[in-house]
Amino acid sequence: MSHDSSIAPKLEEIKQEIDQALPNASQEAKDTLLGGVEAQLRSGQVEPGTTSAGRVGSRAGKVSELTVIAPLKPGGADRLRSLFKLMNGYFGAADRVGTVHDMRFVFLPGDEQMLFATAFDGDWDSYIDDFATQIPVEMDLLFSEVEGWPGIHDPSVKDFIVEYQHTAEGWYVASPDLTVADTRRAQKKAEIVDELLDKVGSL
Amino acid sequence: MVDATDAIDLDDLQSLIVFRRPAPYWGSFVLARFGGAAQGRAALRGLVPHVVSAAEWGAGRRNLSVAVGLTYEGLAALGLPAESLDGFPVQLRDGMAARASRLGDLGDSAPDNWQSPFGTGSVHALVLITADSEALWRESLAAAGRAIDEAGLQILGRQHVAALAGARTTFGYRDGISFPNIAGLPESPFTAPERPIATGEFLLGHPSESGAVLPMPQPDVLGRNGIYAGVRKIHTRVAAFRSFLKANSQDAAGEELLAAKMVGRWRSGTPLSLAPAADDPSLVTEPDRLNDFTYADDLQGLICPHGAHIRRMNPRDSSLATLADPRIHRIIRQGAVYGPALPDDVLDDDGAERGLFFTFMSARADALEFLKREWIDDGNTFNLGSERDPIAGNNDDDGATFTIPARPVRRRLRGLERFTVTRGGEYAFVPSLTALRWLADPEP
Ligand code: HEM
Repeated sequence: MSHDSSIAPKLEEIKQEIDQALPNASQEAKDTLLGGVEAQLRSGQVEPGTTSAGRVGSRAGKVSELTVIAPLKPGGADRLRSLFKLMNGYFGAADRVGTVHDMRFVFLPGDEQMLFATAFDGDWDSYIDDFATQIPVEMDLLFSEVEGWPGIHDPSVKDFIVEYQHTAEGWYVASPDLTVADTRRAQKKAEIVDELLDKVGSL
Repeated sequence: MVDATDAIDLDDLQSLIVFRRPAPYWGSFVLARFGGAAQGRAALRGLVPHVVSAAEWGAGRRNLSVAVGLTYEGLAALGLPAESLDGFPVQLRDGMAARASRLGDLGDSAPDNWQSPFGTGSVHALVLITADSEALWRESLAAAGRAIDEAGLQILGRQHVAALAGARTTFGYRDGISFPNIAGLPESPFTAPERPIATGEFLLGHPSESGAVLPMPQPDVLGRNGIYAGVRKIHTRVAAFRSFLKANSQDAAGEELLAAKMVGRWRSGTPLSLAPAADDPSLVTEPDRLNDFTYADDLQGLICPHGAHIRRMNPRDSSLATLADPRIHRIIRQGAVYGPALPDDVLDDDGAERGLFFTFMSARADALEFLKREWIDDGNTFNLGSERDPIAGNNDDDGATFTIPARPVRRRLRGLERFTVTRGGEYAFVPSLTALRWLADPEP
């Protein structure tokens, strides 16, 4: 299948856009970028890209991203560091949530702000009310060092989060069509199939 | 975690909240528009004496519910100040048509295809009447009609509802069985076997399950003891539904079993959980057993599939794949049938309009949207991937499936269709009687 005649003008347009947007990039980098776009156009497969995850944030397939940069109370970073240390820096308890792919807490230089970033399934505001009845203590523990945190039970908590949320400008998800539950189920199925194959093989 | 003895004044609640629809029943949905604030308030003054309170209904003198709901446009037309109007949730402020994407009202169900006056923004008040006799219904409708006429309100639409033979719905199921167990409200035989749910999940101004009082419009007299309602007119594609049952069953008994697996109840109303292999009609005569079950002994869904309508809509004690709290997603439902039954055994669409008028109520204005989007049109919480509800879901793609857990291997059916189509809907506020009187006051 050849799209050559139809994609040539489009490619030229994109080439100019690249030149304009990235005046300082090397020619090699620009060529690489253009090559990627050309391959996409030729295959006729434009990448699905992202949509909105609700009020703020991006969504790719079933997965959404949330990035919050929030101000900390004085001394809050140190107190949270001790907390994370107690937990060995790991949140095994988040298994229960069942929609969270990953989660990270990072203190920005100067310890005045915390970056919280996560990838999760669905729209974030769908289940926030459930967090308020199911894991209120955990939520308040993690965010109580944030300046102005209204508390997970406060009706304004959604607005508070949105205020400090920044939509990712660039983002990649390897399996946008698999939720955490899907992945766990697939893993279990694979184990069962393997077991079956082992048995068949040893007959 | 909430004090269940929080006293509720049943004289202050509209009976729609506690009403257990009789069988048979007759009723009407009247959609009206105020000419202006003074006229609207006068109309409410005329209507309020006809509204049946929860206490009156409970006293059992007349098996009747007459309720008044107000849309956001209606509340604005009554001249409520901005501070009060701003306190209503986005669902009411924007109206149901604007929420189409959150409700999955797409394609045939899209607001562009709704029946007027739904979704036009012109509906101000809904008067909902249900009675246990034709005479009582006619009498109440006439009385409400006189109040409306005297105030000079414009009637935009009127839909009559009535039970089909055996109190079945158009698909043949008995409906109106399960009812949430709400702290402070009277129980009935059909109350679900659950720890009482905090009053504030249903009535505004009381503590919710989290302990906090959910946001409500101000002043207090306006919001307290009110509830949000999503009213939906839903057309049922009965011939397509029957054809699906037939195409996937070997005989009539198989069709009945499949119908039961899809809803979680046999069409008689008997829950699969209490009668797994065959219907047990004797249960129907024992109302206090009809809703007395949990899923504790059926965690794998071998009896009632995880994807069955009632297991999705109220997972009870099922184990879920995501951190969800079924107790904050419970709703009060009032449903009534419109249109004629499709005669038995007919498998071709006769073009007639038939379906259900639903009123879904909760103190969480997003309750309906949550259930439709997360638990009807998605299956992730039930570990079913993207699988949708087999009767209420938007099953219009070829890949739609319904999974029935079984030994040695599960059964997975294809060829589902969208068996239900939205014909219209409105979000409304169902105020307390105190609030109705306050709203009716000529000088607010
Ligand atoms: C679209 C057409 C629908 C039909 C034909 C339908 C039919 C039924 C039937 C036959 C039952 C069983 C009777 C009972 O337990 O009372 C039921 C129960 C229920 N339905 Fe629906 N329904 C529909 C839509 C919906 C929607 C959109 C919702 C939610 C927003 C919903 C929520 C419920 C709930 C909560 C129950 C009770 C579950 C329980 O407590 O076990 N239904 N429905």
